[in-house]
Amino acid sequence: MTSALDPVTLGVVWGALQSIAVEIGTTVHRTAYSEQAREGQDFSVAVFDARGRMVAQGPYSPGHMGAMSFAVRNALAAHPVETLEPGDAILLNDPLLGSGHLPDFFITQPVFEDGAGHLIGFVVNILHHTDVGGQRPGSQGVEGIFDYFQEGLRIPPTKVWRGYQEQEGIVGIIAANTRTPDKVLGDLRAQRSALRVGELRLAELSRRYGRATLFAAMDEIVTRTEASMRAAIRAVPDGVYPFEDFLDDWGPGTEPLRVFVTVTVEGDAIVVDYEGSSPQTTSGMNSYINYTRSYSYAAIKCLTDPGGPMNEGALAPIVVRAPEGSFLNPRPPAGGGPRAIICYRTFEAVIGALAPALPDRVAAASSHFANPTFGGWDRRRGRRFVAYELVLSGTGARATRDGCEAMAMAFNASNIPVESQEASQPIVVERFELIEDSAGAGKFRGGCGLRRDLRFLADEGKLTNLSERQRFAPYGLFGGKSGTLARTVINPGPGGELVHGKQSREFAFGDVISFQQSGAGGYGDPLARDPARVLEDVLDDYVSVEGARRDYGVVVVGEGLDLRVDGDATRALREDRRALAPDGEATVPRPLAAPRTTT
Amino acid sequence: MQSSGGIATAEAMERHPVRMIESGPAAGVLMAATYGELSGQRDLVAFDMGGTTAKLALVEGGRPLTTTTFELHRVHNAPGSGLPMNIQAVDLVEIGAGGGSIARSALGVIAVGPESASSTPGPVCYGRGGTEPTVTDANLVLGYLNPHDFAGGTLRLHAGAAARAIEERIARPLGLSLEEAAWGIHAIVNTNMELATRVVSIERGRDPRDLTLVAFGGSGPVHGCRLARALGIPRVILPAAAGVTAAIGLLSAEVRFDVARTYQCRIDDLDPGRLDAIYDEMAQQAVAVVRDSAPGGDVHIVRSADARYVGQGYELNVPVPAGPLDAAALGRLRASFDEIYAARYGYGSPREPVEVVTWKLSAVAGAPRVALSKQGPRSGEGTRKGVRRAYFPEVPGYLECPVYDRYALPAGITLSGPAIVEERESTTVLPPGVEAMVDEYASLLVGASG
Repeated sequence: MTSALDPVTLGVVWGALQSIAVEIGTTVHRTAYSEQAREGQDFSVAVFDARGRMVAQGPYSPGHMGAMSFAVRNALAAHPVETLEPGDAILLNDPLLGSGHLPDFFITQPVFEDGAGHLIGFVVNILHHTDVGGQRPGSQGVEGIFDYFQEGLRIPPTKVWRGYQEQEGIVGIIAANTRTPDKVLGDLRAQRSALRVGELRLAELSRRYGRATLFAAMDEIVTRTEASMRAAIRAVPDGVYPFEDFLDDWGPGTEPLRVFVTVTVEGDAIVVDYEGSSPQTTSGMNSYINYTRSYSYAAIKCLTDPGGPMNEGALAPIVVRAPEGSFLNPRPPAGGGPRAIICYRTFEAVIGALAPALPDRVAAASSHFANPTFGGWDRRRGRRFVAYELVLSGTGARATRDGCEAMAMAFNASNIPVESQEASQPIVVERFELIEDSAGAGKFRGGCGLRRDLRFLADEGKLTNLSERQRFAPYGLFGGKSGTLARTVINPGPGGELVHGKQSREFAFGDVISFQQSGAGGYGDPLARDPARVLEDVLDDYVSVEGARRDYGVVVVGEGLDLRVDGDATRALREDRRALAPDGEATVPRPLAAPRTTT
Repeated sequence: MQSSGGIATAEAMERHPVRMIESGPAAGVLMAATYGELSGQRDLVAFDMGGTTAKLALVEGGRPLTTTTFELHRVHNAPGSGLPMNIQAVDLVEIGAGGGSIARSALGVIAVGPESASSTPGPVCYGRGGTEPTVTDANLVLGYLNPHDFAGGTLRLHAGAAARAIEERIARPLGLSLEEAAWGIHAIVNTNMELATRVVSIERGRDPRDLTLVAFGGSGPVHGCRLARALGIPRVILPAAAGVTAAIGLLSAEVRFDVARTYQCRIDDLDPGRLDAIYDEMAQQAVAVVRDSAPGGDVHIVRSADARYVGQGYELNVPVPAGPLDAAALGRLRASFDEIYAARYGYGSPREPVEVVTWKLSAVAGAPRVALSKQGPRSGEGTRKGVRRAYFPEVPGYLECPVYDRYALPAGITLSGPAIVEERESTTVLPPGVEAMVDEYASLLVGASG
């Protein structure tokens, strides 16, 4: 398999595989029915070689991607290659075999040369479906879930299409077990179309360059990527790097969940070990091992070889372990519906661990996102609805820059556009804004928390809240401060009512639910922040005049457009502050998690 | 000229100015398509290198690729980083690589761009106060540009000043000779453009070995042959008057005006009377604009609709049959949607309801093919202007390179590199080993025979 490939041919085949992955993704995106798939891009796609190794992936969700190569292996273990015919496709959503929760449907379709004959690879996609039944609309409940049988329909590796024909019995069972059959069947059709497009392109590529050249290129891609990843890891100082952080809890009235990670860098390999993390819970708050792996890989990739290609080769130098029976590697039938809420913490724990080794590359903790689901009766459209929100806020500050706003930190999803949500759901978005003084102060500040208020014009409303960082604020690094805490409020203002971050509850027609997300952590001593930047933040309403004084020691005077920094007063104030805390946090060389309960 | 490559009247554009935002680059790409067609090449990379940036676009089957997700001012060409424009526009990749791109030494290597000296102060050799060496300065030191006859003789270039700037800022800090430093700048800017060319070809799954490069803009012909060679692009077309050829693109564009109306409705619930009225109104509007621009000619109407299965969020464009939209016509519309959907996405869903979101109409005045005049026979005398010392790493070093006058080259003559061909707006460099034939439209065709 070592036919000499000239650099141009390898480049073209590599680019083509990459563009096949992108085309599969674009097809899902453009043909999907649900908001989370077509607006939030909560799906992923990849191309695998005939040996079941991922060779190219589209730029979508890392949570899916890290799990994908395991999911394909599990699909093929149940349906060995010799039992596959053109047009067959294997569906699975089993949490242990896939990405850790039932709404994620993985589909693996083999590709044969010229539609028959030799197997040349697989095209794969995974999509987060709106609802697969279970106790709560959206299938992501936390409270009252003690195993995955309450979370919906579980599908072992099953041929959902045979010879390009939909298996009506199986699709019928799926349709009968969801609250939103139109969206689920529509998204399933989108997955099917996308795989067909990918199949045609891959077969075309093989026809054009020949199977031998295609296989040689696939080998070369994996080999070169692994070499590039190993070289990048070699540049990280060897060492054993521990880190600790906490999730608020696993439902109302429960204890915090400890995330303890030890990252060991040795030569050109990395081991990420979660020994010391909390045991698995009798709720939906569990992250099956493939999901834990996914975000650990993603964090290492971002810190070592961010520009490098992502395929099987990039994963090879990394081992991820968590004790069996911990909430980061639970035993079936543990619940896992809302596990997305855990991924930021695994991702950020790895980043936090490596901060002392790579201080110029890391970012402080981000604002946590909220991922609530809503269900009920849509009066105007005369139907049941399930809606999903993804409130993405600030990213953590870096060594040389402030964090960003309204962005995803650990994955590639986006906020759902207001217009799209209002056009198809009984929702009016009443506010979508940045929260003043929420960002963690620092020489570079974190991104601001976001507030999104939704009014529901729906009866029999059911909220499944999924929010975090309501007790443990996002950490700052190297003297940077934590951001503010998050909260969820029903009908904010007088008479407003706090909602626990993982509570399931009812709401009434006309109620407003307000998601006020945490601010991201800062980086470096706030007293070292350029006063001109603080003034800019004041002018932008990111920081108030009082906040500038309190958090940064910067005195802003004047009114309206005439706001300016009082240089002398600022110098004096900052000197006082430094005198008060001569050995203050600014000199702390390594980050510490802040396991303080602040409510 | 609209960003899509169609033209319309000034009055129409006054009302829809956003449609013109990428008109210049669109004209350049259309010109490349026109010249490609003349020599029988329909799959092209249009390569336009000016003073500040280089723009690249793919032409497939004679038509420039267009996009409806055009973004203005993207950062590092990253999707989503620019201002989204809800218009049809030619799909371009633009990078900061032009004649004015500034070279500097950084981390022990030469870096070029994206900062540019533009035309003011311009390259050091312009003598307008520029102090930082640019790509044009390097090309002058390499002997590719004529210091006494640049831009039609309107600008005298200061070779000494250019050499001093390169010497001081690049050669000395990096321990290179002057010509090594100048060649380094030339080669680095080529590499930057090579990466951008890969984006429009390889990354879109197009093999550069099947494509033809059309090089234009003031600096395009200086770099075109090297760029093509680096990517294995077998053919290069160098149109005459490379600096101003966008004008030819403008002349060869269709007179066209596109209008659209939103009437979102399931096909089986449509009110045919209302739809016919909408289309009548749109036709009147578009035809009036086109008649203004192309009086007397035939005006052709093209109708289409953006449709989707009910519940989806993105549409596919499908043709709308001519004539009244009765039940039979709507049935055909529905059937063609399923067909087009299946062709694009593998499977149609004939049992699912379909809705139309936007109804579209374009008025197009007959295809005004530009009759580019073929040049008359020339004697070939006076073709060769003389020789100039020019640097080619293959030699290695400087040699006495023949210099030709583009305006005196007779059709059919073949030039062998190394050679330099001068014209008012640009200079073509043919590196060693390259053969170029002059065709009857005065284009230089590199590698046309093989």
